[in-house]
Amino acid sequence: MSGSDAGGGAPTSTVDMCIARVRVLGFRNLVAQELELRDGLTLLWGPNGAGKTNVLEAVCLALSGHSCRTRNERETIAFDQTMARVEVEVRRGAEPHQLLWSLNRAGERRHLVDGKDAGTEQLGLRPALAIFLPDRLALVKGPPAGRRAHLDRFVAALWPGRAEARRRYGRALAQRNALLGRVRAGAASGDSLDAWEEELASAGVELALCRREAVAALAPEFGSAAAELGVAEDAELRHEPRSDASRPEQLAAELRACRERDLARGHTTHGPHLDELAISLGGRSVRRFGSQGEQRTALLALLFAERRALLEARQTPPLLLLDDVMSELDPDRRALLAGRLAEGGGQALLTATEPEQLDCPSAAIAVRRGSVCWSPPAALPSPGGPARASVAA
Amino acid sequence: MYPGPIERLISELARLPGIGQRTAQRLAFHILRADDAEALGLADAIQEVKEKVGLCEVCFNLADEPRCRICQDERRDRSLICVVEEPSDVIPIERTGEYRGLYHVLGGALSPIDGIDPDDLKIAELVRRVSDGTVNEVVLATNPTTTGEATALHIAELLRDRVTITRLASGLPVGADLEHADEVTLGRALSGRQSVPGPH
Repeated sequence: MSGSDAGGGAPTSTVDMCIARVRVLGFRNLVAQELELRDGLTLLWGPNGAGKTNVLEAVCLALSGHSCRTRNERETIAFDQTMARVEVEVRRGAEPHQLLWSLNRAGERRHLVDGKDAGTEQLGLRPALAIFLPDRLALVKGPPAGRRAHLDRFVAALWPGRAEARRRYGRALAQRNALLGRVRAGAASGDSLDAWEEELASAGVELALCRREAVAALAPEFGSAAAELGVAEDAELRHEPRSDASRPEQLAAELRACRERDLARGHTTHGPHLDELAISLGGRSVRRFGSQGEQRTALLALLFAERRALLEARQTPPLLLLDDVMSELDPDRRALLAGRLAEGGGQALLTATEPEQLDCPSAAIAVRRGSVCWSPPAALPSPGGPARASVAA
Repeated sequence: MYPGPIERLISELARLPGIGQRTAQRLAFHILRADDAEALGLADAIQEVKEKVGLCEVCFNLADEPRCRICQDERRDRSLICVVEEPSDVIPIERTGEYRGLYHVLGGALSPIDGIDPDDLKIAELVRRVSDGTVNEVVLATNPTTTGEATALHIAELLRDRVTITRLASGLPVGADLEHADEVTLGRALSGRQSVPGPH
């Protein structure tokens, strides 16, 4: 198992990670399904509503513990089931690891790696994820909070040791806001504001540095990926920090200067929680002025840039989950996309309504009414056929 | 389901940390079956601990006299105070056998979210202790968490220019393999790395 099946001579990375098997029970319209996967591109194809995206969502849940589609994870439990359960077998080199995610109607949730609670310690056992869903366009056209969260997740994927930066900042911010509220209400004195501002500043400068370095790694790749996807104008990815402070004392002084205003408003009005990750084409903000097509392209270019950067830094390509990217691309771009995906090895799961939308997948899996079927497409069994799917290379 | 007194015992036991309804039932029946001396011994111990154990008037560690044993110990270095959040934090530091100074137990850490302000901790008492001139150094040993760090920063602010202030270093556990260290701890240990002294 290596990138050589798929990459066509691409260098095989040292810690290849791949998803070997996915087992899904009582998950949306997938009652009991099992898929075996290989390296390279796997195409999930079938009509609308068949359950293609559900497969991607199930994989995302087992790997990250979060749904890429909904905040209310309980809606993933199939109507007539009491529990949704996803098991994923990941191979890291030759060693297999089991990831499990489950949720029952009572709201009891489990996310385990090799039988232990999935925490930061086992981050290394979970492949990084890069996800494209049409609803994810909100990332490009929505408010900045979504982009900040996305950028911070990328920071964590690139440098697991820095995953704590965002949480640490968030905790200090919540504490300072609580203190501002209490001081405003006359329930506390402002004596400890200095200390909270120092802690917030120290966490904030660290977080801003992570973001700056992450964007520096992404920006050139973003430009070239956008160009390959047919964007004629200059595509630019820029970190726009709220504060330019590079040392904790500077940011602490800035926070102190805002204290009066913050006390009046009851929350912190300065700091990295107001940073923006600006995406622009030809100098215009894609968020404000981009067409639907430009926004899709920008999102795709961002994904490619992240994949490249991760490949470069960690030698492990992230698992790509791409939902319905082909439908709006012309044949040239599709070929380009397929080529891009194959480079560096690694795995990608793509969905499409027609098998012809991807030229040379390593495998194609047909999805019909909640069941995954054998390929090639010509040999499809009738709907509701065998639950087990295999893969033709 | 059970007679009133048993139900009461079960529900009291179930309020203890780490004890669920099932375990509480098992413990309750164990107590019921035990002979009087054993069962009443437990009740007696609980009563005694609540009556006799209080906080040391100097350092606010647990004590069964006005002053705790550490504060009473004449051999202790009175110029050194180690500041911790909880009485339970004193024990691991004592176990090292490396520390010969006194302690100051804050009774928690600053956390505006939980309504804990400087007034709710023994911070003013610490400042008073330091201002009598015998103390040279204060070691801030609050936890390396957001609340612990902010508490340390706040105290450092108050004591600045009066005494030497130090903070516990954070890094790798000794005797453990690097391969088992989590990324955050290892990252901190890397950024806090020290040069290895040369041969001369």
